[in-house]
Amino acid sequence: MAEPILACRDLTKRFGGLVAVNHVDLDVEQGEILGLIGPNGAGKSTLFRLIAGIMHPNAGTVTFAGRRITNRSAHDVCVAGVAATHQIVRPFRDMTVLDNVVVGAFFGRRPRPHGRAAAREAAMTALTFCGLAQRAHSDARALNLSGQKRLEIARALATRPEVLLLDEVLAGLNPTETDQTLELVRTIRSHGTTIVMVEHNLRAVRGVCSRIVALVNGSKIAEGSPESVLNDEQVISAYLGTTHA
Amino acid sequence: MDRRSASLAACGVALAAAIAVPFVASRAEYALDVLFLVFLYGAMATAWNLLGGFAGQVSFGHAAFLGIGAYTTAIFSQFGISLWIAVPVGALLAGVFSLVIGIPAFRLRGPYFSIATIGIGEATRLIALNWTALTGGASGLTLAAAPPLVVQYFAALALCAVSVALAAWIKISRFGYALSAIRQDPDAAETLGVATTVAKTQALFLSACLLGIAGSIYALHYLFISPDSVFGFGTSIGLVIMPIIGGLGTVTGPLLGAIVYTFIREQLAATLANADLLAFGLLLIAIVVFEPRGILGIIDRLRRGEKPPAEILPSADG
Repeated sequence: MAEPILACRDLTKRFGGLVAVNHVDLDVEQGEILGLIGPNGAGKSTLFRLIAGIMHPNAGTVTFAGRRITNRSAHDVCVAGVAATHQIVRPFRDMTVLDNVVVGAFFGRRPRPHGRAAAREAAMTALTFCGLAQRAHSDARALNLSGQKRLEIARALATRPEVLLLDEVLAGLNPTETDQTLELVRTIRSHGTTIVMVEHNLRAVRGVCSRIVALVNGSKIAEGSPESVLNDEQVISAYLGTTHA
Repeated sequence: MDRRSASLAACGVALAAAIAVPFVASRAEYALDVLFLVFLYGAMATAWNLLGGFAGQVSFGHAAFLGIGAYTTAIFSQFGISLWIAVPVGALLAGVFSLVIGIPAFRLRGPYFSIATIGIGEATRLIALNWTALTGGASGLTLAAAPPLVVQYFAALALCAVSVALAAWIKISRFGYALSAIRQDPDAAETLGVATTVAKTQALFLSACLLGIAGSIYALHYLFISPDSVFGFGTSIGLVIMPIIGGLGTVTGPLLGAIVYTFIREQLAATLANADLLAFGLLLIAIVVFEPRGILGIIDRLRRGEKPPAEILPSADG
């Protein structure tokens, strides 16, 4: 098997007495769509933040493309080629949709566009890709939730990532918007970007992910094909609870 | 694009008029004096705005940089050192000092950063007050001679023009995007690859250097400086008030604010001591309540024909 593009080893994050991420090993293969599932509070978003450099682990390592990125700052991780979207959308509200994406184009992974015109062009490409081209000149705050979620993706894409971390991009979307976003995720993957997505929508995960990892209480409890993980006894009991007399 | 060439033309006309003033009104000392102050304050406010407006890092201690520039020039002039050396060294010292304080201060965010800057400003004032051997302490420093007012006027005008041009360039540059992103959401900026601490430090450095130059011009104009005049908290507050009056984070707002600020001070300071502070307090309240975008916000409203700002309108997408 080829070397994983992103690898977490023994990753641990404690908040006081609470162990949010507990000795987690995670391998992400080049070109896959990996789903990260688990009930609320399982540590999925914390794991993402550890990878993206937004938080730093108490123990363990994160390796990307053969290089240690543990304890690097968030902007370093982005420049290295791992981009993350935020679970709660955080657009730059006073900027236009286009300018939001220009920030990503200007500062992401190298080679970067030279000059404002080139950055705007790159941003426009990302917007078109995400179906937001027609809203390019609106204020970011004027977008609805679905639009703002797409803007999160477009902004992250504009940083030219090799690995894209999507944190619950489907939450709050209606079925039509969900299908459109899943289609977008597939398209991004088909252009060569590896994707890791935290997701609560199990139907969606089953449809789009090539592999799934399940976290419960900060620990990895299952890993494998969507079918095997979603039928796993432990996973089912974690989601639905066990029946005791 | 139409609007940009229109505003460029307006700036050009204003600059040409400002250059012509000393030739047309050579005997109107008072008018020249007031205009000198407008441009000096305009440069200072524009410099403050690079960090406080563009990057949203509100500093209440920027008098420190003005004071360092002013004292450097005053001290150097006592040794008969040329202004061509004194002024750049003053700017550089202010810039270096900004790096020294920026590194710890930028570990703090939002209001905590602002509170720290109050301490920094006061600390520099107390140092100037107590380092008597160098600064003359509370009795201040007197400069022997100054260039003629016309030269001072052109120095202030040049500094102001350079500051505004720099702000205009930064606004549309990659650096400007970083600062704007930092102001709106520093965490989101970080995850998009913006090295936020570096960008904030660069903005602070530029801002401090410009204020250092302004400090030199200030010292040469008044020929007397003291810790309370250049390092005073009132000076720092003035630097915050001007951009807010004109339009925080805009290119020309701080200069507009400086015009209002200088006018109110000139009118009230002479007739009724400290009445200008009351006026600024009331003005700030009015701005925050009615139009947080300042004068430029009012102009924008008039242009739109009193329509409510965009954020109040329901979003049109669905």
